Amino acid sequence: PPLQYSLLLQHLVGDKRQPRVWDPATLGGIPCPPKSEEQKMVERVMESCPFKAALACVGGFVLGGAFGIFTAGIDTNVGFDPKDPYRTPTAKEVLKDMGQRGISYAKNFAIVGAMFSCTECVVESYRGKSDWKNSVISGCITGGAIGFRAGLKAGVIGCGGFAAFSAAVDYYLR
Amino acid sequence: MDPLRAQQLAAELEGEMMADMYNRMTQACHRKCVPPHYKESELSKGECVCLDRCVAKYLEVHERMGKKLTELSLQDEELLKRMQQGTGTA
Repeated sequence: PPLQYSLLLQHLVGDKRQPRVWDPATLGGIPCPPKSEEQKMVERVMESCPFKAALACVGGFVLGGAFGIFTAGIDTNVGFDPKDPYRTPTAKEVLKDMGQRGISYAKNFAIVGAMFSCTECVVESYRGKSDWKNSVISGCITGGAIGFRAGLKAGVIGCGGFAAFSAAVDYYLR
Repeated sequence: MDPLRAQQLAAELEGEMMADMYNRMTQACHRKCVPPHYKESELSKGECVCLDRCVAKYLEVHERMGKKLTELSLQDEELLKRMQQGTGTA
């Protein structure tokens, strides 16, 4: 009897398919234990864009705080009294200045880091590739957004500068 | 050809078809999405996203081609039946 392909195909790819379990071990792949739902969820969270942005934010905060305290130690202008220019500042004044500076630098670094990481993740998800162009594009966006508040020309310069900085860091890391 | 025989034949062929499709899909998506730069062993986010999209597209293409092929084979069978009826009565 002639083979009726349409009937056969309906069982294979059409409406009369049976639900099948896809197991890489039987299909020709390398056998591996299936991942549990919790493991998959944790991996999904760790790879997601908001998590990466939050991580960069916290890291930037810590780094900025350290950097701010360090520069407060080098470049000090605390406790300057016009009547007595040679007076050494009190410990309380120095600590207060270090704290303020540290917090201010920390906030800036945190915002910049979060923005850069977020845009890089979004660009990488959109393009579907991971190469040096992702960090250049996201550096331009971040620098442009920061500089744009001071006018268009500052935005363009910020874009170019941050993009070049990102490219240099990427070149060094790869 | 009766439907039960068709179902049995399909069950036999399906295992081979699925294995072949899985291997081809793995090869094609690996070639398209994972460039041969092996600086680190983990898949980056861009590559993961690309693989997800590649698998989804491949499976959709497979389904559409299957449906189109079913349509074409139905038309073929109709034609063959009409020809046989024509030669039978004539």
